[in-house]
Amino acid sequence: MEYLNVLKKNPDMVSPGVSACQGCGGELILRRVMQVAGQNSILCVPPGCMAGSGVVGWNYDTGMKVPIHIPLLDNSASFLTGVTHLYRRLGREDVNLIAFAGDGASADCGFQSLSGAAERGERILYICYDNEGYMNTGYQRSSTTTLGSRTSTTPIGSALSGKQQAQKYVPLIMAMHGVSYCATASPWNMKDLMEKVQKGLEASKEGFAYLHMFSPCPTGWSFGQDQTIQVAKRAVRSNMFPIWEKSCDGYKLNYVNQTPISIREFVAGIGKFKNLSEEQLDRIQRSADERYAAIKALCGI
Amino acid sequence: MGTLKVITGNYAAAEAAAKCRLDLIAAYPITPQSSVVEHLAELVYNGEIDTDMVQVESEHTAMSVVQGGAVAGGRVFTATSAQGLALMYEPYFRMSTLRLPMVMAIATREMTSPETIWSGQQDAVSVREAGWIQMFCDDNQEIADMIVQGYMISEDPEICIPVNVCYDGFYSSHLTSGVIIPDQEEVDKVLPPHRLHHPPILDPDSPLALDPMTPGELLMHYRKSHLEAMQRAQDVIDDVDRRFAQVFGRSYGGMIEEYRCEDADLVLITMGGSTGAGKDAVDAAREKGIAAGLIKIRFYRPFPAKRIAAALKGKKAFCVVDRSVSFGWNCGSMYVETLAALAAGQERYASFSAIGGLGGADISYRDMVAMIERLCQIQDQPGEYDTCWLMKD
Repeated sequence: MEYLNVLKKNPDMVSPGVSACQGCGGELILRRVMQVAGQNSILCVPPGCMAGSGVVGWNYDTGMKVPIHIPLLDNSASFLTGVTHLYRRLGREDVNLIAFAGDGASADCGFQSLSGAAERGERILYICYDNEGYMNTGYQRSSTTTLGSRTSTTPIGSALSGKQQAQKYVPLIMAMHGVSYCATASPWNMKDLMEKVQKGLEASKEGFAYLHMFSPCPTGWSFGQDQTIQVAKRAVRSNMFPIWEKSCDGYKLNYVNQTPISIREFVAGIGKFKNLSEEQLDRIQRSADERYAAIKALCGI
Repeated sequence: MGTLKVITGNYAAAEAAAKCRLDLIAAYPITPQSSVVEHLAELVYNGEIDTDMVQVESEHTAMSVVQGGAVAGGRVFTATSAQGLALMYEPYFRMSTLRLPMVMAIATREMTSPETIWSGQQDAVSVREAGWIQMFCDDNQEIADMIVQGYMISEDPEICIPVNVCYDGFYSSHLTSGVIIPDQEEVDKVLPPHRLHHPPILDPDSPLALDPMTPGELLMHYRKSHLEAMQRAQDVIDDVDRRFAQVFGRSYGGMIEEYRCEDADLVLITMGGSTGAGKDAVDAAREKGIAAGLIKIRFYRPFPAKRIAAALKGKKAFCVVDRSVSFGWNCGSMYVETLAALAAGQERYASFSAIGGLGGADISYRDMVAMIERLCQIQDQPGEYDTCWLMKD
């Protein structure tokens, strides 16, 4: 179905009244993902912002209109592995099995479980909504936090300032597992995002599908609640977050960035980057350039 | 009437599990458990059982995979030891507190440090407060039978608690003996189809939130109900032993086994593989006219407090032989729990804790004879005596 029709016709599967912050990228993505996936789905949301905001439910209520479970922070992919094996034994391969996990649950303590399930080709769709830190517990740094970011475990101090290490680029690591489908997506381009959810769900019936979604966080990153989409756009335009996919047809660059903006323009107005040094800016710029060049090379451009 | 095979304890566990119509097995190697999942892999790869096997990348994932499988309505199985059990502690605790039935074999092993891979019960004993039913076997036939009984107990709709079938690493896991492996039809008689009582919990046809954020008042309700089910399990365990005996002709006594206890004054209390040496020592003592007996603790969780108190009633002295330590009590944990089981009664005993068999060390017949000799000396002076370490030097 064309994505505008999905938006128009498919019901929102997330309960109203979820307590995510205004301007939350994660909630926006979750609602669209589940609008595509629909009723015939089982969802796993590990501890993190989406679970914390009530999506799994609390006080005797559930936050979703589909069956949902909060697995451990580090076992969403392995928990769903068991579910997918049973559902195939029950002859119910049609059920969508989806993990919706933050970067901590995916790239840090959950990475072993994620990598294992990807390597085994378990038939699930794993979505990482990457807001670059442990936002639900007050923004501690994760391995996907951008260099120089001010977080509560990498504060602005007189001796050290912001995260000292570069961001781990997870989507390419996942693509290298040889999964059925791997893609990045941004809420800036909702058409591309929703089409990739559709492709990911289809691929998850044959093997492991992974989507890495850029999820701006106004509260943690300190920017205006109405700037989420703009921040997401600038991340793509600056090559911090290239949009690409890897399917059985190979790598494909979905957004060819003819006139990239600078990292200086990307970080402007985002509080967590306020104290970046010139050296840190240079290092982020270099890694964005390298990242885009590597993706282009993989895509044969 | 089953097939007699000469096999190791690990193979006995695997062969019995293979008769339980499993949906899903998670396989990860660790000494001394590995040959359990290796043998099951052979059976799966040769098409002898219709079971999914997931070769996982860690024990944490092993327990997580079977948890997902159980939530989706599957009969699941895995096996582990020591460090593997420690690594899976997070989903292990959750398996029981989600009240999901399953059986996991533990070929018990000492915990590192010092670095060791050998036998001991410290691994399983250390997680006795994680909400699982834990039983300990002392021969290979018992291992095979308890895998089947494990599912009977665990899946009872009044229980719904996962079961550990524990047996001593190497001593049981790697030594062979004759084992009657039950026929499929016999197992089918005692073990109803899993989904009869355990349909998928997560199902798009009946959406619900599994384990949403739970306020303390409700959480306490769950804990209370879990503890009550643990107590109910004591009757179910004894009942399962009787029902199993009707089909297979083998009975183990349920929660505990009593050996020559009826007229005994002195009692050894053991758990697992050291029981055989203890029984031999009891027999030798009897020949000398010493009224010795033995209690084998078969289930450590729930703890058979009433059965032990009843079995010790009228005795003079006892020694509890632990293959693990309680770091807080300067003795073995089973000794502490035995004393707790007797606290409500008026009886006074002479008693002591013996610790041995750690890190693969032997608990010999001679050790057991020496324990009975010590019981002889103290039997007329009730009180708690110093812990005895079964060490050569």
